[in-house]
Parts: sequence; C-alpha cells; structure tokens
Amino acid sequence: MAALCSEFGDLAEIKKQLISVIYLCKERGLQHTAKWASELAFALDPLPKDEVPPAPEFTEEDAKDLDALTLAKSYFDLKEYDRAAYFLKDCCSKKAYFLYMYSRYLSGEKKKDDETVDSLGPLEKGQVRNEALRELRVELSKKHTASELDGFTLYLYGVVLRKLDLLKEAVEVFVEAIHALPLHWGAWLELSNLVTSTEMLKSLSLPDSWIREFFMAHMYTELQMIKEALQKYQSLIEAGFSKSTYIISQIAVAYHNIRDIDQALSLFYELRTQDPFRIDNMDTFSNLLYVKGMKPELSFLAHNLVEIDKYRVETCCVIGNYYSLRSQHEKAALYFQRALKLNPRCLGAWTLMGHEYMEMKNTSAAIQAYRHAIEVNKRDYRAWYGLGQTYEILKMPFYCLYYYRKAHQLRPNDSRMLVALGESYERLSQQVEAKKCYWRAYSVGDVEKMALLKLAKLHEQLNESDDAAQCYMLYIQDIFSCGEQLEHAEVSTALRYLGQYYFKNKLYDEASLCAQRCCDYNDAREEGKALLRQISQVRDQIETPSADLFVPLSNNTPVRRVSPLNLISFTP
Amino acid sequence: MASVHESLYFNPMMTNGVVHANVFGIKDWVTPYKISVLALLYEMTAKVSLPKRRRLNELILPLLQGPDLSFGQLVRTVEEYCPQTASSVVLRLHDMADGELRDMEQFFSTLPFTAFDTEAYKTSVVGLFMRHMLLAYNKLSFSQVYKLYKSLQQYYHSHYAKPLSTLNFDGSDMDLTSTEDTVGDRMDKDELDTPLHESELRSDNAPSKGPLSQKQAEYFLARQAYLLKNDENKALKPAALQEELNNMLKFNPDFAEAHYLNYLNSMRVQDIFLSAHSLLHYFDRLILSGNEGKSNGDEGYGRSLRYAALNLASLHCRFGHYQQADLALQEAIRIAQESNDHVCLQHCLSWLYTLEQMKGSDSTVLTEDSVKMAAHFCLRYLASLGIQSLVQQGATQGKTAHKLMDALKDTDILHWKHSLSELIEISLAQTTSIWRMYGKSTMSAQQAQLLLNMSSLEPVNFGVHQNNTEAFAVALCHLAELHAEQGLYSAVSEIHQHLKTQFPPHTQHAKLWMLCDLKIQFDRHMNEGKYHLAEPLIVAMSALDKTQGLYRKALVLKALNQSTEAYKVLQRLQVHCDKTKCTELTIRVMLSTAELHWESSGFSTALPLLLQALALARQHHLQSLASETILHLAFTQMLSLQLMLGVPEQALNFLHEAIEPVLAHGSVMDKGRALLLTARCQMAVAGFKPNRQGHTDLKMLTLAVDTLNDATTYFSKLNCTERLREIHHLQAQLYHALGQKSQCNKSAMLFRLLDQELQTPALPVSMRL
Repeated sequence: MAALCSEFGDLAEIKKQLISVIYLCKERGLQHTAKWASELAFALDPLPKDEVPPAPEFTEEDAKDLDALTLAKSYFDLKEYDRAAYFLKDCCSKKAYFLYMYSRYLSGEKKKDDETVDSLGPLEKGQVRNEALRELRVELSKKHTASELDGFTLYLYGVVLRKLDLLKEAVEVFVEAIHALPLHWGAWLELSNLVTSTEMLKSLSLPDSWIREFFMAHMYTELQMIKEALQKYQSLIEAGFSKSTYIISQIAVAYHNIRDIDQALSLFYELRTQDPFRIDNMDTFSNLLYVKGMKPELSFLAHNLVEIDKYRVETCCVIGNYYSLRSQHEKAALYFQRALKLNPRCLGAWTLMGHEYMEMKNTSAAIQAYRHAIEVNKRDYRAWYGLGQTYEILKMPFYCLYYYRKAHQLRPNDSRMLVALGESYERLSQQVEAKKCYWRAYSVGDVEKMALLKLAKLHEQLNESDDAAQCYMLYIQDIFSCGEQLEHAEVSTALRYLGQYYFKNKLYDEASLCAQRCCDYNDAREEGKALLRQISQVRDQIETPSADLFVPLSNNTPVRRVSPLNLISFTP
Repeated sequence: MASVHESLYFNPMMTNGVVHANVFGIKDWVTPYKISVLALLYEMTAKVSLPKRRRLNELILPLLQGPDLSFGQLVRTVEEYCPQTASSVVLRLHDMADGELRDMEQFFSTLPFTAFDTEAYKTSVVGLFMRHMLLAYNKLSFSQVYKLYKSLQQYYHSHYAKPLSTLNFDGSDMDLTSTEDTVGDRMDKDELDTPLHESELRSDNAPSKGPLSQKQAEYFLARQAYLLKNDENKALKPAALQEELNNMLKFNPDFAEAHYLNYLNSMRVQDIFLSAHSLLHYFDRLILSGNEGKSNGDEGYGRSLRYAALNLASLHCRFGHYQQADLALQEAIRIAQESNDHVCLQHCLSWLYTLEQMKGSDSTVLTEDSVKMAAHFCLRYLASLGIQSLVQQGATQGKTAHKLMDALKDTDILHWKHSLSELIEISLAQTTSIWRMYGKSTMSAQQAQLLLNMSSLEPVNFGVHQNNTEAFAVALCHLAELHAEQGLYSAVSEIHQHLKTQFPPHTQHAKLWMLCDLKIQFDRHMNEGKYHLAEPLIVAMSALDKTQGLYRKALVLKALNQSTEAYKVLQRLQVHCDKTKCTELTIRVMLSTAELHWESSGFSTALPLLLQALALARQHHLQSLASETILHLAFTQMLSLQLMLGVPEQALNFLHEAIEPVLAHGSVMDKGRALLLTARCQMAVAGFKPNRQGHTDLKMLTLAVDTLNDATTYFSKLNCTERLREIHHLQAQLYHALGQKSQCNKSAMLFRLLDQELQTPALPVSMRL
C-alpha cells in the first residue's frame, strides 16, 4: 500500500502526464483514449496556470509536414480516410506516418463493414475482410524489425496483428507498445482483450507506472477475480481518484459480477447524479434494476436514455430489459435484435435475447441466440448456463450436464451453476454427485439459499437422517441470518423434519421447541400440534420410571448427532 | 471372437455416408464459374458439328449440378470433348475479363440465348438455369455487379497465372485453405495462431482465391465424410482436415455439417473433449435448421433432439464410458417414448443391448426383443443386426452349430435381397470366426477369402471401395492367425503390412490387428523356445486385452519353471473365466493347469480337470480344443502308465480318436505334437526301453521311426529346436535298437548339434506334450 501511495504521491505529476497524452491522442485521432484520459484528468484537481504542460515542441520534420497533416487531419475527422491517406503519403514525421497508417487501416475497416451489406452469397458473407490489413502488416513489420516504430505505431501494428488472428505476436507488440508509451490506455485495453488467464497475466512484463494499477484492476474484473479488483479500485480511490466516474462505474460492474446488487445499485445512482447523460454501462445498471424488479426506475432510465440517444446498443438493451420486465417478450426480443444490428458482436444482447426466447418458450431460437453468444465469446458463462436451462426444459438432464459443466468451469464459485448441476444429477439418480454439488454450492456461498434445502431433502430420501437434520439446521440458520424473508423459504419443512428427528432420538426438549415453531407456519401447524401432543404423552410415561434414564441416553447420542439448537434467538 | 457388432453411428442427416448439407435454402448466386458455363452454353449454339454437340450435351448436366470448378479444370474438361469450343469459351471469357464491365453486362443482356430456342425450352434444365442466372444477375446491386466482375477477372487470371501442366484434374485438387482473416477478432483462438501465420505467408506470393461457394463446401464435406467412413487413408490427415474445417467454420459458423465432420474427425484421434463439443454444437445447429426448414417444424426438431441424445450415448460408448452412455441412452429412450417415435426407440434398444454386451452382461433377452420389434416395424437393418448379435452370443454360450448357421443363412438371404452389403460383410466375418472357434481351419479360411474377394455392393463413390469395416479387420486377423498356424510367416507379415496401412494405429479397429500381431509373435517365440523374447510382449498384450495378457503370462511362467507363480496366475484366470463365461479360455486354462500338475507328477489330479475340459469342449463343439484335450489325456495316461505299468495300447487307441481331426484341421505345432506323442506310445507298445535289451516289437519300432520322421518335418517348419532335439534323441535310440548304425550316428550327430546350440539341459523324460 505504501508503494502504491508513493506511486500516486504526485497527483499533479499524473495530471500533467494525462494532459500531455490527451494532446498527443487528439492529434492522432485516437478518440477513445483521449476520452478516457480526459475523464480521469477531470477527476483530479486543476493545475495552477504556470504548471499546465506546454504543447510538445515542434521538430523540423513536423514543420515540413504541417500543412499536409492539418489537411489530412481534417479529412480524417470527416471520415474521408482514403483522402487523408493520399495526402499523407509523402510525409516523413512520425506523427504523420501514424495518421497515414491509421487512416489506411480505418478505411479498410469501413469498407469491410460496407461490403458486408452487399455480398455475393451466403458463404461469402463471412469472407469479407479488411484488404488493407495484409499490406499494413508487411510494411509495419519491416519498420518493426528496424525498430523505427514509436508507441502509437506499435499499437497500430498490434491491432493489425490481432485482426489477422496472430495473437501471440500481437501480445508481444502490445507489451512493447505500452513500454514505449505507458500512458496510452488503448494499448492496455487491447492487451487486456488478449489475456485469457491469470498465468498469462503474471507472465507479462509490464512497465512500472501508475497506469498499471488501472490495468490490473481492469484485468481482475475481466478474469472474474472480483475481490482483488475491488481492492485495487479501493486503493485507487484512496490515492485520489475518488471523483473519477470511470472508477465508480468499474466498481459498480464488479459488484454486479459478484451479484452484490445493493452496492452496485447505489454506485450506479451515484454515477447517474454525477454524469446524468452517460450511456456507457447503463445496460449493466438496467440488468440490476431488472433483477430487483424495480419497474418504475427501469422505465425512467429507459425514457431518459431514449432522449439522449436512441441508437445506442446500451439504450436498446435497457429498453429490451424494460419490456422483458413487463413481460412483453416479443418487443424485448425486437429491441435486443436492434441492439445486435447496431453491433453484431454485442455479447450481452445475444444472451439476453436467448433469455427472452426462453420466456416465449421458443427453445430452438433460444438455442440459436445462446450459440451466437458463445461464438462471440466462448467464456460467456450465462450463455452456457442458458443452453443448459434450455435443455433442462426439454427434459434432457443428461444432455444439459455438459452445458452446466461448461458454465461451472467458467465460474467455479457460482452457486447457481452448482445447484443446477446438482439438480440434473438428482434427476439422473446420481445422488452422490448431486450431494457433492449441493454441498459445494453451499460452501461457495449460496445466493438463492436453495442448496442446503435440496441437500437435506436428498439426505432425507436416502435415509441419512443425521446428515439431513444437520443440513436442515444449517438451512434454518442460513435463512434467519440473512435477515430478509425469501418467498420460497421452506423453514416449516425443515422444522417439521427436525422435530420428528429429535423426537426419534428422544431429545424431547428440542423436539418440542421445533414443534412449537412449526405452529407459526400455516402449512405445518397441525403437524406441530400433533407432535407436541406425542411429546407430552411420552414425557408422562418417562417421568414415572425415573428421571435419570434420560441422562445416559442423551450422552449416548451418536457422534454425528446435531448439537441442539438454540431456536429462541430466532424471530420468524 | 471379436465383437462384430459395432453399430454404425446413426445420423439422421446421413444416408450412404453422404451428408446432405442442403439445409440453408440455397438460392442461386451468380459466380464466375457459372458465367463460364453460360459462355459454354453460348458457344455451343455456334457452329459445332452434331456428334460433338451431343457429347457436349452429355457434359452439361454434371457441370450444372456439380460444385464450382476452377477455370482451368473447366477448360480441360471441355477440351476433352471439343477443343474448338473450349478455345472459344476461353476467348469469350478473355473478352469479358480483359475488357470492361460493359462486356459482361452485354453478355448478360443476350440471355437467354435465342438461338437455343429449340433445345433450351423454358422449363428444360438448361433453360431454367439460364433464367435463374438472369434473375440472380438482375437482382444484384451496382456494387455487387462490380464485385462479380472483379471476381470474374480474378477467376480468369488465376488460371492464366499458372501454367496448364500443373493443373491436375482429379477433383481432389480442391484446396480450401483460405488465407483470409476475417471480421473474427475472437480472442480465444490461440490454437489457430500458427497455421494461419503459415497460410498467410503462402498467400503473399500467390494470388488469393475466389470465394468458396456453398456447393464447393458441401462437396468437400460430403467427400471427406464418405472417405472417413469408407477408406480413412484416403481422407485428409486429421490435423489437415481440422485446419480446413476451422477455416470453413470461421467463414461460415452456420455451416452445421462442418461441426459433424469435426466430430468424426476428433473421434479418429480419440479426442473426447473436442468430439463431444462438436457433436453438441452440431445438434444445437441442427435443431435450428430443422425448425426453420420444415413446415411440420416441431416434428423435425424433436426428432433431432432424440437423435442428439442417442448420438451422445454412442460417443460415450465408444470411449468406454459405460455409465455415461447408459444415462444418455436412457434419456434418448425417454424422449423417444414420450413422442412415440418407434424407429428411434428401436435404435435405442439396439444400442442398449450393445451396451449391455460391452459391459459384459448377458443381453440375450433384450436382443431378442429388439429383433422382434425391429421386424415388426420393418427395420431390416436393425433386425438383422440383432440376429447377428444373437448368433454371436449363442456361439459363446454353446448353442448348436446348425441353429446358428441356419440363422445366419436366413438373414443372409434377406441381406442379399435388400443389398445390405455392410451386414453381408459382418455375416461373413462372423462365419469365419465361428468356424475358427469350432476348429475348422479350412472352412474359416475359405469364408475369410470369400469376404475379402467379394466385390462390394455399395455404389462406388469417389473411387473408393469400402474396405475398412471391422468385418474386414476381423477376417484379415483370422487369416493371419491361420497362416501363422501353418508356419507361413512371410504370408503373415504381408497380411500385417496390409492391415497396418489399411487400419493405421490410431484408428478404431487397429487394436484388433495389434493384438493379433502380438499373439502370433508370442506363439512363435514360445515355439522356438525364446522365452526371454516372449516375455516383453506380455506387457503390450495386457494393455490391449487384460485376460489374454494374463494367460500368456502364465504360459511364460510355466515355461520358465516358475510353477507356483504360474499356478497362482492360472487360479486367478480360472475365477475370472468363470465369471465372464469365456469357454475357450476356460478350457485353455484347465489344460495349462493340468500341464502344471504333470510336472509335480500329480497325474491323478490332472485327470479330472482334463475330463472336465473335454466335456466342456464337446458341449461347445470346440473341436480343436477337444482334440487337444484328448492329446493331453493320452499323454497323462502314457506318463502314468510308465509309472504304473498299465497297458500302453489303450493310450494309442485313445490317440487315434484325436489324430484325425488334428491332422486335418490342426496347426503345424499340434500336428507335430500329436505325431510325437503317437510315436512315443508306439514305442511303449513295442516294449521299447532304452539301455535295456528285452523283447521288442521291431515292426512297431519302424513305425515309430516313420512317425517321428513326419513329426520332424512339422517341427522343423516352426524351427522348434527343443522338440527336434528330443526327436533326434529318440530316433537315435530307436535306430540303435534296430541296429541301423549309420542312421543312428546321423541322428546322434543332429542331436549333438542342437544340444550345443541350445545350451539348456534337456528336461528329464520330457515332461511336456
């Protein structure tokens, strides 16, 4: 922590760096990095007048290219990439060279997108490609071997390599790029897309800069290591970035990923007050509202976003969620489709559309949607889980095992997959496996509090009364300790079983306590009363022979016998 | 007997091994190839003599319906029929490709050619094709027309860039290696990393190829699937095929059949993860297309679900995950029951008994049910398969031979009637195995030859006969073993060479020949007395078949005189055999145990064992084993006679019962052993005692000498030196008794030579058969 503080000690220095990098990025048309850096700079205190960094000095080459560059840049800003490239061809400064290559790359990308619309056949559809990539690669790799590339061109080279699916090389080049220019967030972001595991992350040699902390936090979120991510973000806030909307949104997303809904919601509210016209991440926000079933808030958000910009993927997702919550699934699916038209690689929309089709009982369309989601990102656990659910609905428990297993692999500590796995195993009468799954689900922290109940019932079926009682006990503790009332809670079932269990084991005090508790629930009242009657009868019989008969008995309880439970402290 | 029943993977999309990939509702698209065909049609209207015209007309249909060819291939094909037309087609295309866009537009404006009116009536194939093309062309937007023109130029020039000689027209030339990189910025494709890199480098100097048409892709898939099924060696190598498929899937992730081929390909290399993944993916995709394509959507979609579960069961079955397979099968059965799909249910049932059989439990009842139901629903294939499975079970359970053969014959008639060639092959292989089990080597060899020489009934696609089924492997293995029995080792090695190329080590049926090869090598080493060479083979054998390995281990231990260990192993085997009801092995184990008892002179304990073995062998009609048991019995008698001074005539009489079948059907080793034993009995009958003068029947002795001579020829065939040494020793003694000095000296010398060579001391009075 101390090291971190020292790294962030000079916030003014950081701000200076940010301002200079914003200038550099703007010159080169790298708008996203400029946006990110500006957001961050905005969160820091303004600098006094004399400390504002001056524009980078002008070299001889820059002066020579100035006119061409200005002309090209204005074409570039108007998305006339070919024109920009044409006028930059003979420039020799590094800045011009980057802009030249970058506009060629973008022109290729733009043409590729346009081509997709009128292709010559179904098979050719996937074959449309950015024709410029190969040439760019050849030229850039020549310069790369001569080590004539600066941070920005290295970044471009990396992007080209990644688009050509040369991932290993791309990683190397991106690492090189961030070493050359640590402040270029775009390069970090591209790198983060290529890192697939913690091992890989550890093996990378990253430059020692304050921006590295941002990257690590981002990476931890991506790799589902939420605890570490939250820690990192917390320390960043403490270091002085408390006003940054970027960090707030990232934390909120992290909380969303571990399903800490309330925390995430409060953060999003805060974000909305600070930055009311923000559209980024609002789909995540709407997911949260959806889960909480907060219709009015969701409706407000949807209307608000439509006013800001209705042709954004996020907006469409929010509206889709809104309709889904109102059970208008056709319309919801329509909006998700629109989101996909805006960006076919939008992962969340595919999965959400799958959910909608599931709601509409259109399983085959749901499978299609989920498969598309997986195609976009193989690591999307929700899509795997959704596929599993689809097959479960089709009553194919063995078939869905594969999908649940995949989902579980991706989220080893998510209880929902484990419970789903357990249920499938139970349906296949694989009780041993099912028990393992339920127990594991409980141990990793059960969100829905169902695992223990299911485990207990399973034990009950298998006549393992001690284990069953223990599970019911834990279940009751679990339900009451979490405070809120859950709809599906079956405390009465647990109490009923526990009462009978204690009665059978001649622990009459505990049994009567359970029976009394049973009377609090409508569905178990009669049984509770009957049990109480039985207990009092048996007590009458016992009291006559001798009282000390009871003492050795209770000492002889089996080792695994559940310790009597203090139920008085619970308020139902 | 190897399990002949290994049902073929059933895939609703596949008939005769060809995947019908027409699930996307293909529309006609104008491609450069089609423009060339149009040009050909156009040129045909010009002055072409009538016979040539006729020949060209023959060509048109395959050109219209086939996959897109490269320009070079097209020109070559046309040249074969009419060089003149070919050159004018080239000229016409040259005009278009090297001209301007206008030329192509003009060409289309002449469509449909008026001169064709008489032959190309509106609704004829050619007429339809032309009108289709015209429609498709008219639908194109401006940029699409421009693109088409560009690709036409590329199409034409790609032919020109290459010299004609390198263009080989055999259809297999189709190279799908696409060098493109696409929209795909998928992150987790590290595995594609290197191959793409290479292909990219390649493409730097070669002009990139035109787009891959739907038909080309389909043709590629169909061809590879067919090859995989029928002759794996001719298909692409697993890695190469995988690469092609990955490429294809990258361009069109919706091409579900590619996933199925991917599944088959992964099965080849025993990759469970990838194959399961591809299988599920395929069915996920199939479910969609089934729903879209058919009007009775629900039916098609439910159907593929059932078969998905069934296929999953077969996958697990193949990898030996019986429990998983069982669960998947139950699921398939349940869904099929719910939707009243009897055909699917029958498929499930046939898998169920196969699974039971693989697990090693008795499934006769299930199989019988399956046969009955399949016959009821007119599923000939399944019914016959069931009968064959029943025959196999019956054979191991000792059902009478004529019943089995009758059943096979009856089903065979059906097979021939409906030309179910696969089942005919299985049936022949099964007869081979059954005859072999009964010990009739000639019949067995004859059946095997029949199968191998039979020409397949299946239509020959892509120039490949189907000859890689398990039936072929089984027959070839039997043939190899039969040859080995006769000591024809060069023939054996030839057969193995063939097996090795036909069934490469990674394939499904390779284990069969591997085990067979090991068995033959082992027997050979044992016969030659090279036990140290035989021993390492046991480990390899155990890996393939545990029980066989264990049995061979006992044999080696016995040969190395480690009797207690050998006995322990044999006991274990006995218990195992009782459990699995493997009669053949049971009898062999009994015989080996009896042999162990001889060494400890426990003849009285050996006798009941041998009698039991004889009873078992007779009950199961195992003639070769029965005669071997008789040999053992006779030997026991003879040995005990020597001790108890009994009547040697009886042993000789007893032998006569066995000697005939042995000489007729037995292996060379068995023949030699039988003759040696006869000679020794004859000597005993003659009252011959070495080193002691007494009354001896000289006539009988000469007979014994002759018998020994015969035995010598057999043993020398196998290079069985130990036994030869023994024979020479006996012969020398006999000649001595007969007073034939020179012969005696000769035999003695031979004995001396072999003894020096062997170095191991001879067993006392040879205590073995």
